[in-house]
Amino acid sequence: MSQINAYVIETHGLSKTYKNLQALNVLDLKVHQNSIFGFLGPNGAGKTTTIKLMLGLTRPTAGTATIFGMDSVTNSVDIRARIGYLPQEPHFYEYMTARQTLRFTAEFFFKGPKKAIDERVEEMLGLVDLSDKADRSIKTFSGGERQRLGIAQAQVNYPDLLILDEPAASLDPLGRRDVLEVMSRLRKYSTIFYSTHILDDVQRVSDTVVILNKGKLVAQGPIEELLAGSEGIIYIIHLKGDVDLALNIVQSLPWVSGIKTSQNNDESIWQVSVTDPEAAESQLLKLLVNQPVVVNEYRRKQYDLEDVFMQVIEGGQDVRK
Amino acid sequence: MSGNEAFEIVSERGWSRGLNTMLRSGLARWFKTRMWWIQCLIWGSLVGSILATIAFNPQPPPPADLYMIFMVFVGLFPAVGVVIIMQDALVGEKREGTAAWVLSKPLTRPAFVLSKVIANSLGILVTMVIVPFILGVAIITIVTKSTLNPLGYLEAIGVIFISDFFFLALTLMLGTFFDSRGPVIGIPLGILFMQQNLIGFLPALRYVLPWTLVVPIGNTNPLAISFLLKTPLPQDQLITLAAIVIESILFVFIGLWRFNREEF
Repeated sequence: MSQINAYVIETHGLSKTYKNLQALNVLDLKVHQNSIFGFLGPNGAGKTTTIKLMLGLTRPTAGTATIFGMDSVTNSVDIRARIGYLPQEPHFYEYMTARQTLRFTAEFFFKGPKKAIDERVEEMLGLVDLSDKADRSIKTFSGGERQRLGIAQAQVNYPDLLILDEPAASLDPLGRRDVLEVMSRLRKYSTIFYSTHILDDVQRVSDTVVILNKGKLVAQGPIEELLAGSEGIIYIIHLKGDVDLALNIVQSLPWVSGIKTSQNNDESIWQVSVTDPEAAESQLLKLLVNQPVVVNEYRRKQYDLEDVFMQVIEGGQDVRK
Repeated sequence: MSGNEAFEIVSERGWSRGLNTMLRSGLARWFKTRMWWIQCLIWGSLVGSILATIAFNPQPPPPADLYMIFMVFVGLFPAVGVVIIMQDALVGEKREGTAAWVLSKPLTRPAFVLSKVIANSLGILVTMVIVPFILGVAIITIVTKSTLNPLGYLEAIGVIFISDFFFLALTLMLGTFFDSRGPVIGIPLGILFMQQNLIGFLPALRYVLPWTLVVPIGNTNPLAISFLLKTPLPQDQLITLAAIVIESILFVFIGLWRFNREEF
């Protein structure tokens, strides 16, 4: 990759329509080198379509995708020479063993020497804990074993860009943990672009996140920024007593932009949106303590990725950073 | 790709990138699995058993009739196997997702299609043409105590293979147009078994269908028998042979063009 272009993946207005279905609608993406890029969205959001467009398996209806500075349509084979790809549901030739599958995959990239190829195959088998099943026919493999083999074949060429479509979908918690570890380890050498439904995994390993919904990009940015929340800073307060008086006082504060209230048994729950976090931090609790109320809980709202995901998917918010 | 210094990197460019790898895999599927001997067993036993039953009868038919029976079994029926095998080569791979998987590697689409043509042609030639042919000719030679011209032997094998290749290329081409197995199997098998009726209905079709290469019409030997027995070659059958070769090549090119537009 050239020094000038620090983006491994760039898409401009990338769109795909299947008959009357708009699978992807004007997608603009930029993926930095050596990042772990989480690609999120509900089923049918356009994640797999995007990946297939990047790999040249399907053609865009409009727009372009550039990988390593090369066009995904005209330079597809050269791009694929530097990519490792794990499909959502990995399918391999059933007449091959795991070892044969990895050797077969490696031979698309390497002419030899045979010894080095065999060593790489062994390394990959060990990496995904399939060494003891290396010479078994793939026909006998479980879903999890196929997934692990898929992860191994995607890395056999030490790719510059690793594209993983739902890598942990059919793995047990231990398998998932191993995949995340492998991804973290590979970050030094590769850029990792992966789609998933498992938000917890994204939060653990990704540095940048994109959320797609109905073919459109609805959120994009570094994970810390997305987790900061799009609703601004909110304090959650549970209190009892003469809450009406306290509510009037808090509402009149110049740095309070809104209060949502709800009731849980005899407890009032407030969500106080503030515009000045420092003023809120130093004054809000003190002010309440001086009122005829009992404050049972007081905290600043922490977002996790699931909150952000639900907000943008259900709320239709656009939180591009 | 750091960490790959120990390797000799594939540097091929152009349409043939990945062809060698796919070809090795395709040939390994034929000759390093049970496939080759299962096919040899099916077609060898079909031709051998039927021919042996007829030939070793106390009152065997004349040699000319034996050759005709032999040719129908070795020249016509294996085409059914060719269609079944070839529909799996493309439609099977598209449906199972293996085509999308290998095409995510540095492999061109022409290389993918041509690897299917070449590997399956060789597998079919050996297991469905040469082995049953040798077996059948051996039985006839023993019964009739005749000797055959080795060149005629090879020419006859070539004609039978061209007839099979027509169905191979046709099925492959259809596999690039359809995603379901029905039409990809049904159309070639329909043509295979309806050829005689179609030619009866429109005699000019004998020039574009491979029927007369392997099956007699009236008292005329099929072209493969004419080559085998070194009898005069009917001109119209030579035209058919040339037409079948051209059609087959055309089918492959159409298949290549269509597969290039395929979306996964």
